[in-house]
Amino acid sequence: MLNTLNKRVSCVLLLLAIGYLVLAYQLPTYPYTPVDADVIPKGLGFLLVGLAICLYFAKDSETQEQKARRNIPRKDIGALLAVFAFVFLYITLLEILGFVVTTAIFIFFCSLFLGYRKHITNLIVAILFPLFMYITFTQFLKISLPPGILPF
Amino acid sequence: MGSIEGIMTGFQVAFSMQGILYVLIGVFVGTFIGMMPGLGPISAIAVMIPITFGMDPTSALVMMAGVYYGAIFGGSTSSILLNAPGVSGTVATSFDGYPMAQQGKAGKALAIAAISSFVGGTVSVVLLMLLAPVLSSVAISFGPPAYFALMFMGLTAITSLSEGSTIKALISAVVGFMVVTIGIDAQTGTQRFTFGNVNLLEGLDFLVIALGLFALAEVCSLVINRKDLSMENAHKLGSLRITKKEFKEMSGPMTRQSFLGFILGVLPGAGATIASFIAYITEKKIAKHPEEFGKGSIKGVAAPETANNAATSGAFVPLLSLGIPGSGTTAVMLGAFLVLGVQPGPLLMTDRPEIFWGIIASMYIGNVFLLILNLPLIPYIAKVLKIPRPLLISLVIMFSIIGVYAISFNTFDLYMLLLFGVVGFIMRLYAFPAPPFILAFILGGMMEQAFRQSLTISNGSLFIFVQEPIALTLLIIAFLSFIFPLIKLLRKRQA
Repeated sequence: MLNTLNKRVSCVLLLLAIGYLVLAYQLPTYPYTPVDADVIPKGLGFLLVGLAICLYFAKDSETQEQKARRNIPRKDIGALLAVFAFVFLYITLLEILGFVVTTAIFIFFCSLFLGYRKHITNLIVAILFPLFMYITFTQFLKISLPPGILPF
Repeated sequence: MGSIEGIMTGFQVAFSMQGILYVLIGVFVGTFIGMMPGLGPISAIAVMIPITFGMDPTSALVMMAGVYYGAIFGGSTSSILLNAPGVSGTVATSFDGYPMAQQGKAGKALAIAAISSFVGGTVSVVLLMLLAPVLSSVAISFGPPAYFALMFMGLTAITSLSEGSTIKALISAVVGFMVVTIGIDAQTGTQRFTFGNVNLLEGLDFLVIALGLFALAEVCSLVINRKDLSMENAHKLGSLRITKKEFKEMSGPMTRQSFLGFILGVLPGAGATIASFIAYITEKKIAKHPEEFGKGSIKGVAAPETANNAATSGAFVPLLSLGIPGSGTTAVMLGAFLVLGVQPGPLLMTDRPEIFWGIIASMYIGNVFLLILNLPLIPYIAKVLKIPRPLLISLVIMFSIIGVYAISFNTFDLYMLLLFGVVGFIMRLYAFPAPPFILAFILGGMMEQAFRQSLTISNGSLFIFVQEPIALTLLIIAFLSFIFPLIKLLRKRQA
């Protein structure tokens, strides 16, 4: 039943649409409003159900290039997950350690992890870039970024 | 204020010291980001939005417009030198630009690209100046039903013209629309899909979506291709000189494609990418020696480069005069307007002539700057392409994080950014186009409002969309734009 890619993808979309519709039907409605807040969401939910069904019966018309794009070597998936973990840590520590410190650590280690071996250049970029951005934003644009452990 | 006075105001804005400075910054940054493989105008505009906070809206928007056409201009460099287009609008340029580079004529190809971009950009600004005010004065009488129909047409056009499967493009648009329903409903105050989370009450910011779906998703592709050594193998530039004969050869495609590209840019859904492909195909069809195309033809570089730049200015017509974007990129551009508290639309020309005409007038200067940046300075600027990928990846992530944080000041939106980065990457893997998503996200709120206002006027009757002639015409066009590809497909199957 799920032998083609389109069929599998359409099932995921169908679940998404049903989930969305269930939530849309829980939205409160009020009398005397010609179009309430739930009309558009319900319409969109049913539209997605219809489209998912269309996709289920549509022929896979993928080019070889598109198929090749999904063929990611295991090592690269690992690298991707690691970068996501880095970004996750970056976001979590951003307000605790502050913008400059977190960003510097992030740039240095993320670049190192991805195979950049010129450590001195890496270090200079990792320190100067966040510092420059921080000063530009806080001093010139008057937008505060988290200072964290730094005194300024 | 009359048009002439408006134009004068625009030129005053554009030719002031501040105006010139911001145009220069805009086109420079745009060229820079557009050149990076994969990073297109959407990422460029989205990354630059936080920089504009606190700036005077006119200067800021003049700069953002510069970023937009600068990115299209800059995209040609990586197409020609690396065969790795930075922007989808310059893919067609690589068909003949890269073979020229392989023959040791990269400099010549870059010069042709720069000159034809300049011609396309400048001719279309003149057309923009003529057409935008006319359309504004027509659109001023549009009521909510006409606006709804107009936006509906924009959405169907982009889905039917997207690359690949129309169903997938539609799904992308519907999901984009679903995401924008998150938050407090503006008309009844009902909380929709917020799950009791305070951070979701105002809905998701469009920068979260734009940077996630485009910049972060691109980071994922860069991580996978991080060992691509093509940057180091970029071809030597060679001479930038163009002979008289070559210039003559370029002039035909440049003239034709300036107009054709502009028209395609004005139409909803089309834009720079489609304009460049159509330009390439038409020039190949009418050429005396079509066999030269693909092997380093001068016309093959001049045609798409003229058209994509002409289309970029063309895309400003509906954006400035109707307030309705026709493509993913102009949708993000509209977001930039709204962030600065400027509502583009038919009233912009009369209410804020300095912005309306300032942006248009600044494009003349922007194009001249781009010509200078891309002709004598290109050997130096092309060095940007040597930034090592690992560093580039880290820096793009940093810019995306700053962009979102500076607008929301909370980490919740940053986690959402990460989430949409994953969504964007998965969409890429399964060939779901992202531009319909972002367009639906930006138009969704306005569309829902126009739809509900219309139904409130008509007391719930859908006939209001049929009774108003403008709305009806637009809906019919939308319907046809949708039906035609389907009929074509069916005929193909039968044949």
